[in-house]
Amino acid sequence: MAHDTRPTQDENPRPAQEPACDSSHGCASCAADEPQRTLSRRHFLKGVGVTAGLVAAGTVPAFLTAAPRAASGSESTDAAEIPGHETGIEHLTEHSGEVNYPGKPVWYADEPGDEKWAMVIDVKACVGCRKCVYACVRENNIGRESGFTYIQVLEMELGSNELELGNVDYEEGGRPDKWYLPVQCMHCAKPSCVYGCPVVATWREPDGIVVIDYDKCIACRNCMITCPYDARHFNWVEPEVPKNEVNPKVPLHEKAGVVEKCTFCVQRTRNGMSTVCTEACPVGARTFGDLNDPDSAVSHILRTRRAFRLKEELGNEPAIWYVG
Amino acid sequence: MSTPRPGVKRFIGLDWDFGALRHASPAYWRWMSVLSVFFALGLAAWYLLLTQGGEVLNMRDSSPWGLWFTNYMYYVGLAAGGLIVYASVHLFGATQFAPLSRLAVLLAGVIVMLALLGIITDMERPWRAINMVLSPNPSAPFVYTGSAAGLYMVLCFADLWVLITGKGGHKLAHTMTLIALPAAIYMHTTTAFVLSMNKSRELWHTAMMVPIFLTSATASGVALLLIVAYIMQKVTDLEFKPSMFRSLATLLATVIIIDQFLLLVEVLAVFWPTSAMPGHTLRLEQFVTGRLAWAFLPVFILGMTAFALLAKRTTRHLPAVQITASALYVVAVFFKRYSLMAMGFSVDTLGQSQPVYFPSTVEVFLALGILALGMLLFSLAVKVLPMKVPEHADPHEPATELGVSA
Repeated sequence: MAHDTRPTQDENPRPAQEPACDSSHGCASCAADEPQRTLSRRHFLKGVGVTAGLVAAGTVPAFLTAAPRAASGSESTDAAEIPGHETGIEHLTEHSGEVNYPGKPVWYADEPGDEKWAMVIDVKACVGCRKCVYACVRENNIGRESGFTYIQVLEMELGSNELELGNVDYEEGGRPDKWYLPVQCMHCAKPSCVYGCPVVATWREPDGIVVIDYDKCIACRNCMITCPYDARHFNWVEPEVPKNEVNPKVPLHEKAGVVEKCTFCVQRTRNGMSTVCTEACPVGARTFGDLNDPDSAVSHILRTRRAFRLKEELGNEPAIWYVG
Repeated sequence: MSTPRPGVKRFIGLDWDFGALRHASPAYWRWMSVLSVFFALGLAAWYLLLTQGGEVLNMRDSSPWGLWFTNYMYYVGLAAGGLIVYASVHLFGATQFAPLSRLAVLLAGVIVMLALLGIITDMERPWRAINMVLSPNPSAPFVYTGSAAGLYMVLCFADLWVLITGKGGHKLAHTMTLIALPAAIYMHTTTAFVLSMNKSRELWHTAMMVPIFLTSATASGVALLLIVAYIMQKVTDLEFKPSMFRSLATLLATVIIIDQFLLLVEVLAVFWPTSAMPGHTLRLEQFVTGRLAWAFLPVFILGMTAFALLAKRTTRHLPAVQITASALYVVAVFFKRYSLMAMGFSVDTLGQSQPVYFPSTVEVFLALGILALGMLLFSLAVKVLPMKVPEHADPHEPATELGVSA
């Protein structure tokens, strides 16, 4: 449906106009004709778009959710183009409520606040030491024998960001002829995992954190299929954590036989702390903060550095940026 | 109505001839006991899975779906044959298929039930499946294919009931077809959606998946029906005309070649220089020249052999040729389902090559148990229900009686 409505938004008369005027220098009759033609063309496109939109909205209720998203997306783009616009990155926080399916409160964390959480990872600084991975495993009660970690660090080839050339199972980091790309749940604004969950057992909280209801997950693992970042992991074995290492603030046995993933350390970040991976990084490659706060470190970095997101072409709009 | 024969019980308007079981041959009971053993082993495997957890499976994060999903796609496809034959009798006047209609619909209903059982037994907490009904997510393809399969199963058994009882006459049978055929297309389409609606999996992410699913389903479904019809002719008193088999074989050959064509152009699009993208070629190369070629190439080899067998005008009326070609294609489509499943997982979304998935013993016995249950139910139904369509009955007016005189 987003495709169908596009003609009404784009309404660009130039394609019809340009060739005619380029060929005839100062042709008065041509110039007089043009507005008439483009106007009717515009009306026509509008009619097509509206009709298509109505048809799509009427027949496919599932895609109704796409309508407000498309609209807010175009508005925010317009806002970003206004000269003297304050931050220039505000459009990134506009995608607030689209997929906030009403889920139950995360019982082991506080209520979400007004923040919009985001993270920036400096791949120039990252040495691939995996300190973040280990800290995350301890903080989040990841089963020691479960065979997965929330964070995966890819050892990448120089001169390429082709994931297929990267390697997750590298021996030790710090090689000067490689660069390192940590990947985890991106807490997307348009999370395909949330769209793909058949029972609404996962959703995006108002502060941007994508969470899972361990008591509702039916273990169909469809979210693992739909996630483009390999961020979701299934507990194939009972998660085992040594007694003295269990973090009482995070569920453990509830995670048996269901899917789990990075939560942006919801139990910490909603209590004024940073994520544990950010704190554990010895080189300060990670910055975590609030996009809604123009003075936060993440907002500052996104304003001043050249940042990119992984697989941005898929349109999931991750909340983790990379800077180099 | 007169009194039923001894051993015949009337229930929900059908005559259940339990007397036939008493007179069944020892071979029948041997067959049923072998199936029961496999069914019991399947139950044991499910018990192991529920008590031990996913540890006993070979699925892992790199391959979150495995044999059960292969079978889900496979069974949903195999179930197509039944309704297509049933529908063509009533919708297109293909009266040569009329003697097959009851058998076809029963087969379709049982097989799609197996597909649903596959989903249920894969869940580690099957009782949570109720959430699919309580809070379905409209943007999840799984909701549609799951409900479609459920609907299809109910429709098949309802159709069987209508066919046997003859209630509602030609009009109802025709109306049921008008509902059932779109339902079948809906089911195959939404099953394809489970794969194609994923931008995360390069090789699945193609709208071509839908027509491929429709043709594979039709081809494998008709092929299976042809084999089952021959078997039934051998072991029961059902009889079919050679002309019916010839019609089935012609239909099969046509669908096979369309199915092969669609898959070939899809492969071509991956490798053609102006469309080749590393994310796609790297993944599909594994299936053409790489470590998974053994799973994908047979789809073409077996498929084209089956077509060649059926294409030859002078020999395609021979039962041996028809059965061989059908069997080849039923196997080819299984390989196709397995490759399709593996294509999503052999290289993960972070570009990492993953170990090839093979099902564990528990998974295999679970699948065999489900299959055995289906065969048990089918064998039982064929024995006790009147599957024979009365000889000179007008296909437009399903006859009312068998075992009961009207």
